[in-house]
Amino acid sequence: MTNETSAATPNNTRRGFFLTLLLSFFGSVSALGFAYPLGMYLWPRERRVKGTGARSMKIPLSDVPIGEARFVRFLGKPAVVVRPNEQQTIALSPVCTHLGCVVKWKEKEKEFLCPCHGGRFDVKGAVLGGPPPSPLPIFTTSLEADYVVIKEV
Amino acid sequence: MDIETLHLGPFKIKNKIAIRLFSALDDRLGVKEIVDDEVFEKIVPAHLGFWSCFGGISFFLFISQALTGMLLMVYYQPTIEEAHATVAMIMNEVPFGWLVRGSHSWGSNLMLVTIMIHMVKIYVSGIYKPPRELNWVVGVTLLLLTMGLSFTGYLLPWTQLAYWATVVGTETPAALPYVGEYIRYAMRGGEEIGQVTLTRFFAIHVMLLPVITASVIGLHLVQIRRQGIAGPM
Repeated sequence: MTNETSAATPNNTRRGFFLTLLLSFFGSVSALGFAYPLGMYLWPRERRVKGTGARSMKIPLSDVPIGEARFVRFLGKPAVVVRPNEQQTIALSPVCTHLGCVVKWKEKEKEFLCPCHGGRFDVKGAVLGGPPPSPLPIFTTSLEADYVVIKEV
Repeated sequence: MDIETLHLGPFKIKNKIAIRLFSALDDRLGVKEIVDDEVFEKIVPAHLGFWSCFGGISFFLFISQALTGMLLMVYYQPTIEEAHATVAMIMNEVPFGWLVRGSHSWGSNLMLVTIMIHMVKIYVSGIYKPPRELNWVVGVTLLLLTMGLSFTGYLLPWTQLAYWATVVGTETPAALPYVGEYIRYAMRGGEEIGQVTLTRFFAIHVMLLPVITASVIGLHLVQIRRQGIAGPM
């Protein structure tokens, strides 16, 4: 059998061109036929939190003793409320600006420490040391009777 | 080194980038020789027909089971609280989940059917005879492995049907004298069927048996290549 007479020869003839066209068309259609269900199947189903609900959150002051920090979920993400002393109530995002770990509150040192790479932040979120490139985002807080209300800036 | 046209069986490739990529592989691994010998110039005996295809179809189904199985593992959770809920979710909520699980469960049944047809063909044509007796033994091992995969996979949806089938399936070997009770105990991972059973069936179904089966399929194919396809009756 010589290749020249084979019908599967995509050479420079009209038949070869037509064959290439057909093969590419049906090849692409079947590739899409597999790719589409696969993509749909694997795509995550959980709706992303768009934060359409309450843009503020109330936390009882009794939950946050002086000197301690209280971690909560706010708009689908972590938030922390801390009262370093009687006068101050601060709320900020505890997500480290370096690579996204959640920082810990060090009661004795009165600062936040990131357990991943040792980033340090003061009580207002400013960087004290380590790799973080920017301060922790801060939320606005207001006091309402026995509650602290945190809001997005 | 620069060739104008690359001849691969009936294909003449003129694309320069494709030729350079292929030549780079060919220089290092001798790919062209393998492709020519094993694909394009491989002579398939003329007497092979419809009934000779079922070994290959079973192999195709094994690959399909492996792929759909991996996709099912994306959503399935092997705990007695979540197993049924996640399977129901795959069937009812995940887009095309019905297709993936349907392919997997139908594929498992179909695979046993095609293996049976393959075995009948081999038996009727006398292909199991020397020098191919060892490959018959390997083939029967593959049948048993496939049945093991079916049996362990059957429990995973954690339905009433799955649960009681496993009760019966683990009770059966308990009838063996002396060792039966120990086999049942080992299969269930305890006296009763529970989380431990589900966990070990899951591990066996998705890791242990697939890896063993893939290796034994390799042995099966190596023997076919060494011995060649059997001649006509």
